[in-house]
Amino acid sequence: MNSASSKIKNISSLEYKEKKLEYWGPTPDESRKLMVNKSHALKDKTMTLKEAVAKHVRNGINLGIGGFVNTRVPVAIIHEIIRHGATDLTLSFQSNSICPELLAGAMILDPDRVSIKRVELAWWGYEIIGIAPMVRYLATNGIIEMDDYTNYGMSVRFKAVSMGIPFIPVRDHGGSDMELVNRGKMIECPFTGKNVYLLPACHPDVGIVHTTAADMYGNARIFGAYCTCPEIAMAANATIMTTEKIIASESIRSYPNLTEIPFPVVDTVTEVQYGAYPGASYGNYWFDMDHLKMFRSICEDFRKTGSKDALKKYYDEYIFGCENHDDFIDKIGYKTIKKLKEMDGGQPIILT
Amino acid sequence: MSEYTPFEMIAFTGSRILEDEKIVFVGTGLPIIAAMHAQLTHAPNLYMIYEAGSLAPILEMGMPLSVGDTRAARKACYLKGLCGAFELTQRGCADYAFIGGAQVDMYGNICSTIEGHNYDKPGIRFPGSGGAGAMAANCEKTIAIMALEKRRFVKKLDFVTSIGFGDGSPDYREKAGVLGSGPYRIITNQALFGFDEETKRMMLLEVKPGRTPADIQELVDFELIIPPDVKDMVEPTDEDLRLLRDVIDAEGYFLKRVIKK
Repeated sequence: MNSASSKIKNISSLEYKEKKLEYWGPTPDESRKLMVNKSHALKDKTMTLKEAVAKHVRNGINLGIGGFVNTRVPVAIIHEIIRHGATDLTLSFQSNSICPELLAGAMILDPDRVSIKRVELAWWGYEIIGIAPMVRYLATNGIIEMDDYTNYGMSVRFKAVSMGIPFIPVRDHGGSDMELVNRGKMIECPFTGKNVYLLPACHPDVGIVHTTAADMYGNARIFGAYCTCPEIAMAANATIMTTEKIIASESIRSYPNLTEIPFPVVDTVTEVQYGAYPGASYGNYWFDMDHLKMFRSICEDFRKTGSKDALKKYYDEYIFGCENHDDFIDKIGYKTIKKLKEMDGGQPIILT
Repeated sequence: MSEYTPFEMIAFTGSRILEDEKIVFVGTGLPIIAAMHAQLTHAPNLYMIYEAGSLAPILEMGMPLSVGDTRAARKACYLKGLCGAFELTQRGCADYAFIGGAQVDMYGNICSTIEGHNYDKPGIRFPGSGGAGAMAANCEKTIAIMALEKRRFVKKLDFVTSIGFGDGSPDYREKAGVLGSGPYRIITNQALFGFDEETKRMMLLEVKPGRTPADIQELVDFELIIPPDVKDMVEPTDEDLRLLRDVIDAEGYFLKRVIKK
């Protein structure tokens, strides 16, 4: 295979360290071996989130985060990971808001409990609500290592694992500075002789996703945009899934076309209603702009003043002050949830 | 004619550029507003792609506040995930990319990753490429919205996030391995820019009535191509403003924002 290069070096004055061409997580061989050796039985995988996180989350893992910005983000799992503690994490996702911000805030409060070493990503922010203060703080100060791709790039890197291949050719990144700073590589296509960019597959040790419905074996349906949840679940060595509703396996078998995540790649299933809150879950509830704004402004105050008081109060109230997600939703209250359900508009979803 | 704000002028100009029976890949905010305005006026058969995964939704629940918003998935023709949305662009189904950014250079390259020269410890870290880098690479034509300021229309970018014409060489995009034809329009509230076919350099096409090409050059750090036939930008009518304010962004999420100085 012939190495090639675009002309990006002609226009950029960027200073950067060249990254080693290596996987930030399991290698393709390790990942294959693990999947082969995993039990492929159709067995009940339901357990509490506390049990699921204790079973799979360790220090030093690559954590693949599902959802997209404020949509179907696995907040309940993130809260449990913060309660459990995990240091030296590599995070991988396309675009996310509150999940990595919550982990980053936990790191700022107590780096011995939660810490992020590096992030492979496309985007970190809240869209209309504003920038993500914690990543701005951590990345601007060089506290975490960043590895930049496009949203397609990150998504298709997970997809590559789901296809069992070590890399995937794409038609973006080339000719931008991402070509220089990330772990992709430009080559000459052996068939066309033209330049094409290759991205390494992205292998999380643990993937975390929230789905619309699943059976107890982990066969899951997603309504609304899939985001990159099927690919992340397929790519991870272990997938922790929360779902709005556990449905009968008979229903899964009546409409097998609707299954977006198949049981062999799922390790744990937990029914957590409102598991993406304050994010949205299509057909169930819209995102809570007020709560996101409130948390974001607490983070922004920390970034501007260095004071951790309000941040600590938020975590003590909403994370450490809760045994589980039900306790958290209790604190949010019925009226807010009712409004968010109305804002969703009752999108049609199939649960039977 | 009523007074209009800079954001309203940008949204209206964006709408004017979009043609009927085309597909536009939209980012959050003004691109969505521009595309909705086009659908309500001259381009009823313009369709949108939202990168979280939807193609051609019907926005009957109101303007989506996020490209992953439930509202953006409502009554779509096709609803998958990010892979599905971006593969439509790689395959050639998206006519326009509609993006924004922090800085642009004379060849339409755009930065939205960092400010400063050191990637590992930048002056400011921005959110990152998101979908923009892939949209600018593989939608057929790229439309970008920028604030017209000297610190944003720069000679050299801090980081090339979204590919334009690179260094202006005719084979830059081919060597980059990307598929789309590249930058098409840059929209600001005071001027509309295109690109010279031969040199790939940014060219002034229209100015806001009352402004001269020299006024615009003052706000740009590199030398613009200024052809003899620069036109006046069309201004929104009362009906256009009614659509923007009362129908499209009735809650004022984007159009009523205050510009930070």
